[in-house]
Amino acid sequence: MSADTVISARELTKRYGDVLAVDRLDLDVRRGEIYGFLGRNGAGKTTTIRMLLGLIHPSKGEVRVLGHPADGSDTGWLGRVGFLVETATAYPNLTVWENLEIQRRLTGSEPDAVRRVIDQLGLDAYADRRAGRLSHGNLQRLALARALLHRPDVLVLDEPTNGLDPAGIVEIRKLLRSMADEHGVTVFMSSHILPEVAYLADRVGVIGGGRLLEELSRKELFERARSLVESKYTEEERAEALLSMQLERYFLQVTGGAA
Amino acid sequence: MTAPTLTTEFLKLRRSKVTWLSLLAYATGPSVGALFMWIVRDPERAGQLGLLGTKADLAGLDATWESYFLLLTQISGLGGMILLAVIAAYVFGREYAEGTAKNMLALPVPRYRFALAKLTVVFVWFAGLSVFAIAETVVLGLTLGLSGISAGTVWGGASDVLIAAGVAFLLVPTVAWVATLGRGYLPPMGFAIFTLVLGNVFGATGWGKWFPWSIVPLFAGVAGPRVETLAPASLVVVVLTFLAGVGATFAQMRYADNQQ
Repeated sequence: MSADTVISARELTKRYGDVLAVDRLDLDVRRGEIYGFLGRNGAGKTTTIRMLLGLIHPSKGEVRVLGHPADGSDTGWLGRVGFLVETATAYPNLTVWENLEIQRRLTGSEPDAVRRVIDQLGLDAYADRRAGRLSHGNLQRLALARALLHRPDVLVLDEPTNGLDPAGIVEIRKLLRSMADEHGVTVFMSSHILPEVAYLADRVGVIGGGRLLEELSRKELFERARSLVESKYTEEERAEALLSMQLERYFLQVTGGAA
Repeated sequence: MTAPTLTTEFLKLRRSKVTWLSLLAYATGPSVGALFMWIVRDPERAGQLGLLGTKADLAGLDATWESYFLLLTQISGLGGMILLAVIAAYVFGREYAEGTAKNMLALPVPRYRFALAKLTVVFVWFAGLSVFAIAETVVLGLTLGLSGISAGTVWGGASDVLIAAGVAFLLVPTVAWVATLGRGYLPPMGFAIFTLVLGNVFGATGWGKWFPWSIVPLFAGVAGPRVETLAPASLVVVVLTFLAGVGATFAQMRYADNQQ
């Protein structure tokens, strides 16, 4: 594992009885890059993320984050990792502020950290609302705020824009981009939506059936998509794709999001 | 265990309905006991009250402080075991039922600290309830004007309630382990009911003092003749059960796959 590698997996395998959820996965994520982990439902994305965080143990192989084995033996390195695993959850009887305060205390973050992430994620109007009464989108924002609260060096995010409206998606994309560009944060994010990953990730790994099928840069990804459009799409299909993009821009303009 | 781990566990209880429901449930014990005392003080009135009066008569109670505290030990001994299981199931099981275990277990805190902090919360919570029940008993006993009051009677009665509560607490880690193993509320509740039934069955046999879940019912006198002083062997059994439960909970949180 080189000094530049933040996340490294070797022969990572997870088996549940007869089901092979992750199959001999090799992965290297470099410092400061946004790595998109793309795959269909059930491809093994969440299982891989759980192993990255030491929540489940590999059947074979190993995974290291920031040079530390993610096997639960040492937890100190998790203080440099922000995460969101699968569905966003929070203590329903506590307010947004209180949920974040728990994270602040347990990560030893500065006293104004809660205020900072509430502003950063646009949660000010909901700070005193109980988490159990939040919409799915705002619960997702709360989970992202918790991931960012302790100024992590690495972000491990499982479908981070899940449940957000188009304006929210654009906002989170910008936020993650700025985390990587301005603060050197490494982002490992999974998604089953190709455009989401394509707009954001520096590199993309495609997982299917628990195996890493392909790894390519954003430039390569766009070149392939362009070549596909030029060689296979009819004029009508191209026009339809263009219209669909314009409709999203129109929606963003109407709802006050960035167009 | 560090202060933030403990303070955040207490913070998690804020606005929780279970806190108040447990207080309400436990406060019922001394109130029911006081109702019985009120009835047995006047047998004629007890007769007029039908089954409730008959039951109070059958219990062979008299309207004294000693009798009232014995009743409280019985109610809080058996009821306390159930209530403790509910509290432990809530404190440990909610992390899985509400999907927050994955957030908690990927924090830069050794996992055993969460288990210790949660056990401390359960202990403080139940100790608070027990002290409240004793205070309620004293207030209601004074209001009823029960006979035979002395510092020794009150102290002896209160000690019995606290001993029953303490022994019942030593069984909590096994419930906590089942909550982390079963990832929710129902498995620990099922386990608690199962062990309570077993405890009463074993209590009626000569093996009761060796079976952890029989020891509180025997001490409270609800599973056969009351054992007023716990045998050293019984204390060793409950302490070993406590240690085994703590070890199993630590191991479950540390080594098992944590999926929701």
